Amino acid sequence: MATNEAVQQEVDLDELEPILEAFKGERWGLIPLLQRVQEKYGYIPPDAIEPIARSLRLFPSEVQGVVTFYSQFYTTPRGKNIIRVCRGTACHVRGSGSVLKIVKQNLGIEPGETTPDLNFTLETVACLGACFLAPTMMVNREYYGKLAPPRVMSVLKQYAPSKKEEGNGEG
Amino acid sequence: MERVESIMALEKVRNEIVQRIDHDKPVIRICMTGCRAYGAADVRSALSEEVIRKGLVDDVEIRETGCHGFCARAPVMAIDPLGLFYQQVDPEDAREIVSRTILDGQIVERLLYREEDKRGRLCVHPGDIPFYRKQHRRVLANCGRIDPTNIAHYIANDGYKALARVLAAMDPEEVIDQMERSGLRGRGGAGFPTGKKWRFARSAAGHPKYVVCNADEGDPGAFMDRAVLEGDPHRVLEGMLIAAYAIGASKGYIYVRAEYPIAVENLKIAVRDASAMGLLGENILGTGLSFDVKIKEGAGAFVCGEETALIASIEGRRGMPRPRPPFPAQAGLDGKPTNINNVETLANVPGILLEGPEKFASVGTKESKGTKVFSLAGKVRNTGLVEVPIGTSIREMIFDIGGGIPKGRKFKAVQMGGPSGGCVSERYLDLPIDYGSLQEIGAIMGSGGMVVMDENTCMVEIARYFLSFTQSESCGKCTPCRLGTKQMLSILTRITRGQGRPGDVEALRRIGNTVKDASLCGLGQTCPKPVLSTLEHFAHEYEAHIRDKRCPAAVCDALMISPCQHTCPVGINIPGYVAAVADGDYNRAVEIIRERNPFPAICGRICHHPCEVKCRRGELDDPVAIRALKRFAADHYFNNRHEPPEPFARTKSQKVAIVGAGPTGLTCAFYLARMGYGTTVFEALPVGGGMLSVGVPAFRLPLEVIENEIEYIRQCGVEIRYNSPVNMNFTIEDLMEQGYEAVFIAAGTQKSQHIGIPGEVDGLTGLMYGLNFLRDVKQGRDVSIGARVAVIGGGNTAVDSARTALRLGAERVEVFYRRSREEMPVTDIEFDEAVAEGVQFHFLTTPTRILSERWKVSGLQCIRMRLGEADDSGRRRPIPIQGSEFSTEVDTVIPAVGQAPDLSFLPPDSKLERTRWEMLSVDPDNLATNLPGVFAGGDFVSGPGFVILAIAAGRRGAVAIDKYLSGDASRVELYDMKAPAPSGGGKVADLQEEFGEKPRVAMPVRPPAKRVRSFEEIEIGFSEQQAREEAKRCLRCDLEK
Repeated sequence: MATNEAVQQEVDLDELEPILEAFKGERWGLIPLLQRVQEKYGYIPPDAIEPIARSLRLFPSEVQGVVTFYSQFYTTPRGKNIIRVCRGTACHVRGSGSVLKIVKQNLGIEPGETTPDLNFTLETVACLGACFLAPTMMVNREYYGKLAPPRVMSVLKQYAPSKKEEGNGEG
Repeated sequence: MERVESIMALEKVRNEIVQRIDHDKPVIRICMTGCRAYGAADVRSALSEEVIRKGLVDDVEIRETGCHGFCARAPVMAIDPLGLFYQQVDPEDAREIVSRTILDGQIVERLLYREEDKRGRLCVHPGDIPFYRKQHRRVLANCGRIDPTNIAHYIANDGYKALARVLAAMDPEEVIDQMERSGLRGRGGAGFPTGKKWRFARSAAGHPKYVVCNADEGDPGAFMDRAVLEGDPHRVLEGMLIAAYAIGASKGYIYVRAEYPIAVENLKIAVRDASAMGLLGENILGTGLSFDVKIKEGAGAFVCGEETALIASIEGRRGMPRPRPPFPAQAGLDGKPTNINNVETLANVPGILLEGPEKFASVGTKESKGTKVFSLAGKVRNTGLVEVPIGTSIREMIFDIGGGIPKGRKFKAVQMGGPSGGCVSERYLDLPIDYGSLQEIGAIMGSGGMVVMDENTCMVEIARYFLSFTQSESCGKCTPCRLGTKQMLSILTRITRGQGRPGDVEALRRIGNTVKDASLCGLGQTCPKPVLSTLEHFAHEYEAHIRDKRCPAAVCDALMISPCQHTCPVGINIPGYVAAVADGDYNRAVEIIRERNPFPAICGRICHHPCEVKCRRGELDDPVAIRALKRFAADHYFNNRHEPPEPFARTKSQKVAIVGAGPTGLTCAFYLARMGYGTTVFEALPVGGGMLSVGVPAFRLPLEVIENEIEYIRQCGVEIRYNSPVNMNFTIEDLMEQGYEAVFIAAGTQKSQHIGIPGEVDGLTGLMYGLNFLRDVKQGRDVSIGARVAVIGGGNTAVDSARTALRLGAERVEVFYRRSREEMPVTDIEFDEAVAEGVQFHFLTTPTRILSERWKVSGLQCIRMRLGEADDSGRRRPIPIQGSEFSTEVDTVIPAVGQAPDLSFLPPDSKLERTRWEMLSVDPDNLATNLPGVFAGGDFVSGPGFVILAIAAGRRGAVAIDKYLSGDASRVELYDMKAPAPSGGGKVADLQEEFGEKPRVAMPVRPPAKRVRSFEEIEIGFSEQQAREEAKRCLRCDLEK
């Protein structure tokens, strides 16, 4: 099972500069700025908090407060592919619990965790707004609906990293 | 794209676009929003390739549109100018669509929607489909028609015309007047009048003013805003522009969830194009109006749907609500006047100003005007987006438009309004959906999410689910919400784990009311609703969890081993014996069944198998054929056994008398004998089996099968005395005097009930009661039947009588039932078989008189019924339709409206206590009567029911009598037991490969033409290979712990 400490890595804060520059003086720019930073690094590196605060003339605690308030900001690195299993009401009553179980079993991680090879991050989400095709999940920006177990497996396979890792548990 | 400098120029542009449209050119409109989750992109590329291959690029338009609404049938498409609607399209269909439909103008029938009733009518046009028939699409008018990324399409469909009209001819006050006159109320949930809101913002002092579109659609189960933003974004922009003009705003924000990438993309394109054409920005259409729109993507916080939290979030802060007043209209963004409307509200605006407020208000209710878009999801056939006039009833939504509940299951509740809403039970199905009426019953219309739940949904678990959502989304500002949700969640979690305690329900209610009253924002004030409404409407489910540690819907994993076993009234270890069948160990399978049920061969034939309804495999495709597997194992046992079983050892001195050798009595005797008691069964008839032998026709249950099972029970050590009635000459007291220390009465229901209509006279030739008729036929007596038979009733006895009459040579057999098919307590298989054999059913028809001539039945007079509103049980009451009487010629009438226990065998001075309805009164827990040592159960006590319930009563009786005889006064508690793991196989991992695409194996049957004149058994049973294949479909829920 992957722990998030295991996947900590060095980040290059130089790449932060152009983003900070783009939002200099922008009112109410903190959230879009953080979104850009996350797009760049895949998460909000803790070391980026201070420079961000300085550039927007905020306290680091204010920045940290926003980062921790919103569920879409992450403070640890994430996988190349983000799987979001919908746990909305409609998916819930149509068996999304079983879908989540299958994904967990196959990736060997719990929601909120990342596989050691940084290929997958597993998340649950309150609702994807695709209730009509429940149960659903999203991989990156693609939606997948009416998920029966074989379909879940084929979606996971589609995003699996490389050939050499096949054969463990997939049939 | 050229900038449009004036209102006139816009009209010119519109005319040019419209003139360019070639109405004869085929257009394939394919949904590329919602349907993308089910392969629409592949279909779209297959179509493009095919069009290129045929050299038709210039002759066909493939248009990527927004949502068509009928999402259940994804991927869907419409083809113009033919007006066809194709559904469940595969990439492989592209070739045929292009060559047959586009080139030859022909219909590909298999892609049409087929009505899901018996007739299965094909629907060519969307308007033919029941899903669309009651809809009234205004907000969604363009969704599925236009390309949302093409501003020209919007303009061609009167886009920005309302804006032009407003700017040309109306002052802001007039706009607000019209909005007020329309009666539009906010579609985000609270229902505040939109015109009034605009007026507040207009009259507030401050500059600049803001217009904000709240597109933070966070309610789980709601997706209407997503569809509008994806499918028709300019409509929302136009609404914002008109709002900006009316209130004098110059800046706008759209706050949209980041979970909606297609919506964000389409909105960005719309803003870019509208700006390029000068419809956004400075000096719009040369009128001096200036308005800028920015898109803000949310960052994942449900509470940001609350307007003050949303403002905080736009300003880059933590999204926490603040007290109101001041309302955003006075002090919103940056402390300036801010008008916040929901997506659907804004999408309604252009229509109101284009067609006038009167047109808008022409549909809806007195208090709530216009249409509302609902997202229909959950356990309903036609999931999708539905736009209907406000005031449409919940029943129409779910059953007419939604097509009802799939897989023949029963409706339980509909959750409306997401975490802020409540669950509506069956008795409120006829309620019109509007803001006020739902409020009264503890639900809300909310943003319009409707999640339908069937009998396999646990309401306690649903309440827990919503609480876990709101608890994690509570921003933490108000203590009651922060701590209250946490406490409620922990209580609910405990209950679903089987650790509920007395007082939990009261605590939930108390905390819920405190959170509701003492929180600042909508989230806190409404989040207890899912709990409070389920407590109100589904109290019995809480009770089952807390007191009996049972989950009636078989959902809460901690309370059970597997859903099938939990649902089985006798708690058979179903996964255990299914696995044994898969392993080829059929004797072991039968042993496992007999742990709980001594009648595997009988139940393998006629059990109504509630287990299959709860089978988790059934959520994914079809349930495992549990009943058929039981039959296979039992038949294999009886066909191959050699030695009779060893009788049970007699280890106890006491002996017990059982009255009646039906399923209840024999089950009780069997388990008492197994516990070591001496048992004697007293049966009045010369045969055993009770109702099974007299009431179930041989084509469903051959006599030989019953005899085999009874013989097995006898060999196990149960003494059965036939022709030994207990009556006035040989009483219960006499039994006690003979040394029986306990007596169990299981005398069944032998007395046919009369209908009670004029002309129903005993002794009339051609009038016979269902049960007597079936008994005489099964026992081989000579029964003469007429040519035209009328059966009255809707239960098993009625259907069995009708089918038996056909087999005796009747030419025409009709069943008259006062309710509808849904209320008939027979399984689909039985009903379908009867119809296939030629039985005619007349639903909603009640006989009013039996006509006769010279003591012979000559006809039946009937009246038609309609279903009225639901009564307290949720069943709709049949009401006679005045003037609809008719009569039909028949020569035989078989009433089969029910049976009652016949208590005449009890002496008049018997001290046994009876109920008002001439039934014996017993304690439902231990089946004890008021006389010590005398117990009673089965149909005799609870009225005619399913055989498995009769067996369950017998087993309960055995456990209760054992407790009584050993001086144990505790409650009878029957738990599911897990058997030791079967030998070999059975790991989840082993089976995972196999739960592939294998469909359920169908039960082989004799064809109707061959069986209709024969009493031979209809079902043939599985072959060994079929049985083992089917058994491997089991997901083994029991191994997940």
